[in-house]
Amino acid sequence: MTVDPGLAAPPEVIDEVAMAVQDTDSDEHPAPAGRWAHRHLLDVDGLTSDDLDLVMRTADTMGQVLARPIPKVPALRGWGVTILFYEASTRTRVSFEVAAKNLSADVVNIAATSSSVAKGESLIDTVRTVEALGARMLVIRHGTSGAPYLAAEHFSGSVLNGGDGWHAHPTQALLDLYTLRARLPGGTVAGRKVVILGDALHSRVARSNLWSLTAAGADVWVCGPATLLRGFEAWAATGIAGSRRFTVTSDVAAALRDADVVMALRIQRERMASGLLPSLREYAARFGLTRQRLAAAKPDALVMHPGPMNEGVEIAPDVAAGGQSVITDQVANGVAVRMAVLFLLAGARGGAE
Amino acid sequence: MTSVVPGRAARVVQGVGALVADLEITRAWLVDPGAGREGPGEIVVTNGVLEAVTWLEGAEATGVDATGIVVAPGFLDLHAHFREPGNEDAETVATGLAAAARGGFTAVCVMPNTTPALDEPSVLARILAAAATSGSPVTLLAHGAVTAGRSGEGLAALGELADAGVVGFSDDGAPVRSAALLRNALAYAGMLGLPIVDHPEDPTLTGGAEANEGLIATVLGLRGWPGAAEVSAVARDIAILAEVLADVPGARLHLTHLSTAASLDLVRRAKSADLPVTCDVTPHHLALSDEWLAGARRWAWEALADDGAARDPWRDGAITAPPFDPSLRVNPPLRSASDAAACLVALGDGTADAIATDHAPHTEVDKAVEFGLAANGISGIETALGVVLAAVDAGRLSLATGIAALTTGPARVLGDRAPGGGSAVRGLIEGQPANLVVFDRSATWRVSAEAIASKGKNSPLLGRDLPGRVLLTVAGGRIAYEAPE
Repeated sequence: MTVDPGLAAPPEVIDEVAMAVQDTDSDEHPAPAGRWAHRHLLDVDGLTSDDLDLVMRTADTMGQVLARPIPKVPALRGWGVTILFYEASTRTRVSFEVAAKNLSADVVNIAATSSSVAKGESLIDTVRTVEALGARMLVIRHGTSGAPYLAAEHFSGSVLNGGDGWHAHPTQALLDLYTLRARLPGGTVAGRKVVILGDALHSRVARSNLWSLTAAGADVWVCGPATLLRGFEAWAATGIAGSRRFTVTSDVAAALRDADVVMALRIQRERMASGLLPSLREYAARFGLTRQRLAAAKPDALVMHPGPMNEGVEIAPDVAAGGQSVITDQVANGVAVRMAVLFLLAGARGGAE
Repeated sequence: MTSVVPGRAARVVQGVGALVADLEITRAWLVDPGAGREGPGEIVVTNGVLEAVTWLEGAEATGVDATGIVVAPGFLDLHAHFREPGNEDAETVATGLAAAARGGFTAVCVMPNTTPALDEPSVLARILAAAATSGSPVTLLAHGAVTAGRSGEGLAALGELADAGVVGFSDDGAPVRSAALLRNALAYAGMLGLPIVDHPEDPTLTGGAEANEGLIATVLGLRGWPGAAEVSAVARDIAILAEVLADVPGARLHLTHLSTAASLDLVRRAKSADLPVTCDVTPHHLALSDEWLAGARRWAWEALADDGAARDPWRDGAITAPPFDPSLRVNPPLRSASDAAACLVALGDGTADAIATDHAPHTEVDKAVEFGLAANGISGIETALGVVLAAVDAGRLSLATGIAALTTGPARVLGDRAPGGGSAVRGLIEGQPANLVVFDRSATWRVSAEAIASKGKNSPLLGRDLPGRVLLTVAGGRIAYEAPE
């Protein structure tokens, strides 16, 4: 990995992490993945399976860092990382913040409601301001699909999409993939039946996971009420990237039968107001992930949820807290995966400049 | 005085508005949709009048074909937004007319969604005065609002507007939401001999919509604008018209910017039942498709699979630009490649009467924002000809049909309210004031912010080379535009 000699971090630290990345699982990867070539992380559809492998292996290394008594390396020392969130979020924002701080970056948090954004400043102006204030990396969450692409066009550093509208949530998909590879026997999702259960229509988590999980060879099923699957049948028929098929159904029993993984999605209360669902009660009764329903899946099937959960609606409390749940793993792995992504983007930029 | 260069358009070298004293264009390809004729020929303009149109035959015609200099009647746009009064930072009547001339248009009909709306005669007088002040010889026409203040409630001053000279009524930007009010408007406007120009959209299906509902919107996570919202509105409008006709034989309906195969089918059926329905399609709906939102940049006909369905740009590796370009946000949204193909078929079989630009200039402030927050619209009056010629070059449209849809087609929609009682755009008619566009099909031009005369630089075609450089536009015998050397 080539890094910017101007980096504040001592080169040996970068080398240490980079070497670790290269060495990890070298037996399983006889053809080592290429270098990270992306300036931004805006989407999952631009990532090759080599890219996914590189993120996974780098995250393994970051996991080792996190296991140390002081889980901190100076890889991004002196780097300004701005976390700009236009939507309320605790989990993702804090995860990025912890990840960046573990890499010794200087982190600035901007909640859009408390900044000049509320006074009508445009996204482009905000991005330019953030850059002028020293940010070299920008993590952005926005309620409008595609907003991070606009930010990337006007930011000379790297932009990380922390979730945009219904479109994409790349780090969530990466941490989900990482969690599955860590927890599934054999360490791979290839051939595994993964069910995404719930409101796919409004879900950036569902969309990003469709790209990454099908790229990794999973047998993906998307299941939910018909009103929340609008358009997905046509996508399934065409396939992801025109070839990677998945299955769409409103039949929960068929979806869960012999599943290896069930990922429940959050149901927003406003779906009732817009007439997409009769009631939360009815949703819970028909589509909620209960212990009884989960019994149709494989005995050791993993249960996931991107959070925040409506316990008792899309997922029963005993399932969320049960032995098959890897929900807290997802949260913990999120830090390692985000450290990996920040590190790789910094390295790619350093090398490019 | 003009020098004459065989096979080339002569340069006139006079300012905008100057009378064309003496112009002779020799050995060019003439397209006269009024006469249903195209071929090698020559024209002479003297003191602003189209003095002679000569068709070359036999040996004289040798070496002249449709790939070089083309002379056609000046174009008539049924649908443009010039933003004055109220949004002069996006466009003014003067800049809009300059842009129109640059695009080969000699008459433009503007929409009344200004601020204030064109819902009573003083607003019309104001923009006509602005046109006169501009010095442009391009004819400015206007649709009046259907409802007062485009509020959707209560009729605007339809009779007064008709007396003042509007050519139709439209609440464009929005449909006439109330079916009951549309019924009244069709009857009242029919009594006045004018069409209702409806923007067909059922807003209950399109709240917050960002993109054509379909594969592209699903993958990109954009809120869908279903084709059914247009189709159901078209069906409603036609059904109401059919009944109004019993009382008001003069009632007429024009449906603007149709974008789906199914709504064009409804118009096809209505026309075969002899209902007085006309419609237009836009250049962007016939040549671009929703895959552009994903970053594809091929023409719609290149995105069509053998079975007539749209191809998957991700499978094809057709994505060459970043996704979510806000210049592509438009209402109705860019549709599938198969809908775009249906627009071309509709032009070919006469279902669609006209190509209207829906020229919708916006400021950078309103457009250089998140896709879902960007204003709807494409600045398109200067790229219309190039887009149509791209379809012609691809064999998807004949040159004659494309030119007719920019000239005689829209003139028929306006009937006797078309410029010159319609004659001005009915073809190359000797003895009439010259209304001409001269373009070079062998030359391309690069669309750029600098090359566009409109204040609205919001074109998804920026950076692209388009065929057919306009060399000269003559309106009412006067220079409207002349290309720099």
